[in-house]
Amino acid sequence: MSDDLIKILDGNTFVVSDANGDIEASATDPTGLFSFDTRFLSRWVLTIDGQRLNALSVDDLNYFEARFFLVPGTGTVYVDANLSVIRRRSVGAGFHEEVQVLNHQDEPVDLTIRFDADSDFADLFEVKDALEKKGTYLKETKGGKLVIGYTRESYGRATVISATTRAKVDVDGLSFKARIGPHEKWTTEIEVAATPLGGAAAAFRSTIPRGNGGRRPREMAKDLERWLANAPRLESEWEGLRATYRRSLVDLAALRFSPLTAGKRSLPAAGLPWFMTMFGRDSILTCLQALPFAPELAATTLVELGLRQGSRVDDFRDEDPGRILHEMRFGEMTAFEERPHSPYYGCADATPLYVVLLDEYERWTGDRKLVRDFEPEARAALAWIDDYADLMDDGYVWYQRRNEETGLENQCWKDSWDSISYRDGRLPGFPRATCELQGYAYDAKMRGARLARAVWKDEPFAERLEREAADLKRRFNRDYWVEDGEYFALALDSEGGQVDALTSNNGHLLWSGIVEKTKAKSVVRHLMGPRLFSGWGIRTLAEGEGRYNPIGYHVGTIWPFDNSFVAWGLRRYGFKEEAARVAAGILEAAEFFDGRLPEAFGGYERKVTKYPVQYPTACSPQAWSTGAPLLFLRTMLGLEPLGDHLVVDPALPVGIGRLELLDIPGRWGRLDAFGRGLVEVGERRRPGVPN
Amino acid sequence: MADSVTTFFKDIEGRGHEPLLEKARGTLRIDLTDGRKVAHWHVSFDRGDIAVSRRNAKSDCIFRTDRALFDQIVRGEANAVTAVLRGEAAAEGDLELLFLLQRVFPPQTTPRKAQHRVAGARARA
Repeated sequence: MSDDLIKILDGNTFVVSDANGDIEASATDPTGLFSFDTRFLSRWVLTIDGQRLNALSVDDLNYFEARFFLVPGTGTVYVDANLSVIRRRSVGAGFHEEVQVLNHQDEPVDLTIRFDADSDFADLFEVKDALEKKGTYLKETKGGKLVIGYTRESYGRATVISATTRAKVDVDGLSFKARIGPHEKWTTEIEVAATPLGGAAAAFRSTIPRGNGGRRPREMAKDLERWLANAPRLESEWEGLRATYRRSLVDLAALRFSPLTAGKRSLPAAGLPWFMTMFGRDSILTCLQALPFAPELAATTLVELGLRQGSRVDDFRDEDPGRILHEMRFGEMTAFEERPHSPYYGCADATPLYVVLLDEYERWTGDRKLVRDFEPEARAALAWIDDYADLMDDGYVWYQRRNEETGLENQCWKDSWDSISYRDGRLPGFPRATCELQGYAYDAKMRGARLARAVWKDEPFAERLEREAADLKRRFNRDYWVEDGEYFALALDSEGGQVDALTSNNGHLLWSGIVEKTKAKSVVRHLMGPRLFSGWGIRTLAEGEGRYNPIGYHVGTIWPFDNSFVAWGLRRYGFKEEAARVAAGILEAAEFFDGRLPEAFGGYERKVTKYPVQYPTACSPQAWSTGAPLLFLRTMLGLEPLGDHLVVDPALPVGIGRLELLDIPGRWGRLDAFGRGLVEVGERRRPGVPN
Repeated sequence: MADSVTTFFKDIEGRGHEPLLEKARGTLRIDLTDGRKVAHWHVSFDRGDIAVSRRNAKSDCIFRTDRALFDQIVRGEANAVTAVLRGEAAAEGDLELLFLLQRVFPPQTTPRKAQHRVAGARARA
């Protein structure tokens, strides 16, 4: 999608329009008003006397509202601005739009102001895959309102449009006759409500908490203010870093989403526009990144994912007892079980990562009550690793979908079809056991053992988990180690052979702690070598591998989130300077995107392109890219909870100058961390600070 | 003839202590329509203990649907979440109780752990 689209959102209700504020969606593009994974408006076009408007400027400083400054006509060279129009739109349970038309002449004018409206009620999955609808549409005018509806059996959704001033309403839109005196203005307010149809659906709607539409802009602005005030304050001489930090906090606030059971609490949705919902993997990893900044997100995520933990074997949803969900959706295709997202469980990493987050959350916050409350879920997650994920009965975590029609083939974070390959580019069969899954399983067992000892008071269980972890580590370092390359294979294939491409996954292994100390140096040499490190960051797949492509989704692009966990891993093994180099590269790249890191950017060598090339269809903002700068700050400052204390051990890139992170929340109350850039990161521009 | 709805409620009450439901406290009311009649069932959760009653009581969550669909849900042939999304069922209040009750609904497919392991699996070295 192109970048001049204006996006505003609250919860999982969002509006994507062009710079005029107009919506003219085609079947496959994600513009429109969306709520609960359904498009409620696909056409919304403002004209004056039949003429389209021309944007002078757009103000979308708040993520939940935008203002469009417009003039009539699509002037090419000169715009005759006798009239101007201001549209002010905010997201609610649908959206609210205030339109002002200003007459700048000495004469009165008579105008026809019109909104054309329509909706295709597309499920977001249909927009993504361009599918046909199966139900029937209705359009009617009722009591001065326009109702556009869609029904299929008992399923119904409707868009209800009304205005505060008298309008002529027809089935294709609303028209206003306005007489505006000299230097006067005309105003109307329009409410576009996204609603379910039918009594049963209304009851469902009534349970939807605030934070999913229905709040007023003032309330939302206050909430954002509170959110920013609660986060630690960053002081740095590097202006770009301060901007990136603020952008990250605001975007993270924007991406908060309240699942139906969460009341006012919220957790991070994965990204706009395709992924405004709860994802196991994305929500957990984002919460890990944000723990030192907004620990309450982790609490909600642990509760909500725990409540929906799998309890049965269900092939359609790839559900097993103990498994943490992959993705939850609310649209028509999910409702009719044409898609398995109610929720869908096909993901092999969220379950061990759930235990990792539970432990890391307790280390930061000291919230033992939550760890006690969710002991059954954590135990069930640990049991899943051994009972259900070990498809080959060899003590490793494997994946193979049971829903072969609409399930996911690759159930790891690199989930595109060609992401898992041998050096020569061949793709292995199924099942697959990618390496980072073994690392996460190892970490889950070690952290589970800590919780068992410290909170659940179950010493035998702790000892068992530690024994299993040690055994897994021993086998892993033998079976995955590529002898002639001295790095870890991407995966094992079903024959037990190594899928031997060199990838960034090696960095996740460092993060998990599964790498034997003697092997770490060699792994780091690869991560920081020219085949993986571009100068901006570490590529998903090494240059020179069969499928390497600098703009291939998981086969050569650089993912900021991936790099943030790799840097954390480098620190874990004591490679502070390397961690600082990775952090510097990605944070410098962020400046080219105005502080908003995209999902992924090109793997081109930094010396060649001079600037990071954005991956064409990347989602933005995306939660774990938004969280990446936060985790880099934690890593560079060397923040680590130790009992009730916070250890600070900075290793900052030279040129960052002095860095202060003030009021870091945790079990210690609030603490400050300071550091100064001393690590030489290579021949680069030194950000922000005069040399 | 055995009534599967009645059997279901008898079953969950007879389970005794259910560790998976220890977090839950509150009452879920299930309204089942059957033609013109509406039957109310109250399922109370108290730290893992479940009690079922037909008597009116204060509830924290209400789940409404028709008896035939509920029958399918408790047999594992239909899913409560998609039924709500389709408008064939409605839920209000503290949905946490509904999610937790789902944990004790019978499985949708028979567990067959051995079967979904891959044939020819190797033993661990």
